[in-house]
Amino acid sequence: MLGLLGAVVVTAVISAIALPYAHGLAAFLTAVGARLLSFARLNFGTSAISGLPAMDELGQRIPATLALVLAGTGVALIVGVPLGLLFGAGPLRRSAAPLMQIVAAAPVFCAGLALAYGAAHLLHWPVSINLPVTNAAPIFASNVRDLQLAALPVLMVGLAGAAAVQLALRRAAADSAHQSYRTGLKRMGLSALEIEWIYAVPQVIAGLLSSAGEIMLALLSATVVAEWVFHRPGAADLFVRAVALEDWNMAALILFIFAALTLVIDFLGRIGAYALANEGTPS
Amino acid sequence: MSAAFEAPSQAAPLLRLILRAIGWCGLGLIAVAVALSDFLAHAPAGATGAGPMLDAPSSAHPFGTDLLGRDLLSETLHGLSVTVSHALLGAVIAIVLGGLFGAVAARLSRPLGLTLRAVIGVFAAIPALLLGILLIGLTARFYAPLAAGLAAAPLAFVRAFDRVDTKSTHAEYARATGISATTLLRRDLTYEFRDTLATVAARALAAVTIILSTVSFLGFGATPPARDLGLMIAAAKTSYLHAWWTAAFPAIALLILILCARLAAGLDESERP
Repeated sequence: MLGLLGAVVVTAVISAIALPYAHGLAAFLTAVGARLLSFARLNFGTSAISGLPAMDELGQRIPATLALVLAGTGVALIVGVPLGLLFGAGPLRRSAAPLMQIVAAAPVFCAGLALAYGAAHLLHWPVSINLPVTNAAPIFASNVRDLQLAALPVLMVGLAGAAAVQLALRRAAADSAHQSYRTGLKRMGLSALEIEWIYAVPQVIAGLLSSAGEIMLALLSATVVAEWVFHRPGAADLFVRAVALEDWNMAALILFIFAALTLVIDFLGRIGAYALANEGTPS
Repeated sequence: MSAAFEAPSQAAPLLRLILRAIGWCGLGLIAVAVALSDFLAHAPAGATGAGPMLDAPSSAHPFGTDLLGRDLLSETLHGLSVTVSHALLGAVIAIVLGGLFGAVAARLSRPLGLTLRAVIGVFAAIPALLLGILLIGLTARFYAPLAAGLAAAPLAFVRAFDRVDTKSTHAEYARATGISATTLLRRDLTYEFRDTLATVAARALAAVTIILSTVSFLGFGATPPARDLGLMIAAAKTSYLHAWWTAAFPAIALLILILCARLAAGLDESERP
């Protein structure tokens, strides 16, 4: 809750930059106060680019971004959870580390361009990296061509998320491996399987949940790049354009939405982790 | 499944040591290449017409040429030089304002420390990439290294703050024997931060390099003629589908730089230095 309030204040500060009278400290603080009062009335100002209310313009763009994040989350869990469990387990943990370093060293945009190259040359799929933004296909499309166009950004976001998911799982597995309860439980006569299943697995899942905020950060960052690389008209693409054209009302609002999303997911993840294995503390 | 998550035997410290040494050697070689980039490059930065347009890799142009006939080997060396120098500056800012400040804040009085943690935690909830873009937008592209360092700092602050164990045995002992918080902080900085500095620095270099190159790729970083690797890859976006070398070599150089920094930082990602 405190984090969300902080995000609102940060949004007001950025938004106040757009006001023409906000020169000098006193005037700027007054402008920040005025913006906070406007936010309380759900007035987020107008876009300097389109002249439309910022909320209305964002409302047109945010569904595409959320669909991309949602689909990417699905891919991240499908790919990241098995990888994390496989490489987090004892025998493979050490040998997986160098491989993971190589994979994690690739910036998201390089991975996206490589995916597009592979899809175009090996699968002969259409790629949207040089198409106009208006031709972007919806994520949940019905025809094959649109599905192929949408698959690459989803994969790109999903793989970035999968890297964060497997890291969170491996970290949780490493924490679990060094817990002192293992010796005690063995002395009490529990088998290794029982210790893993009853105690370690919930702790590892709780570790994943407590890293939900970090995973969301990775997904959102990848979404920004994916929308730019694959010319998708989403909120992240709008943010890049808003900053380039100094549309601070719009940039501030998008930043607030992203920060709020991260904070809420982080909070829910910590609550879930706490409920599951008293992992972390909800704040 | 039997004992799947149990700690494995310590069989790999030698491998970790070797990989870490490879990382540092790689960073050393990159530093040499950067220092000698003007001598090693065939052409000055941004020199057009060094060869035919989109010429494939050959003995004359080992990395090929781009849309404007620039020699890509020379351009990659110059781009690497710009990327490394900017990333080093950004990493220093991230370490000082993030890691160091976070460790200091954790030893301040509890209400003040927690207030700082809460305020900076808000910025840590914003993707570092977006924060970097915003900071560049509010200032100028010239300040991209500063913006990247500042963008990476909140997360480093939060991690450093959370890592300091204020209830540790030595902290309890220090308090019980009347040792001041300043002395305790000095002890922490002298021993703990010194021991992890190389790891923190290498990890910060990798993180800032990723932010900086991505920001440049999106058009907010380096400005021509001082092109960095991110900007080179962005420029190749229109041509790389039929001329792979225009993006491949700058991307490989970037990947090697980040990989060396990550290897130098060590393999144990379960820790958050």
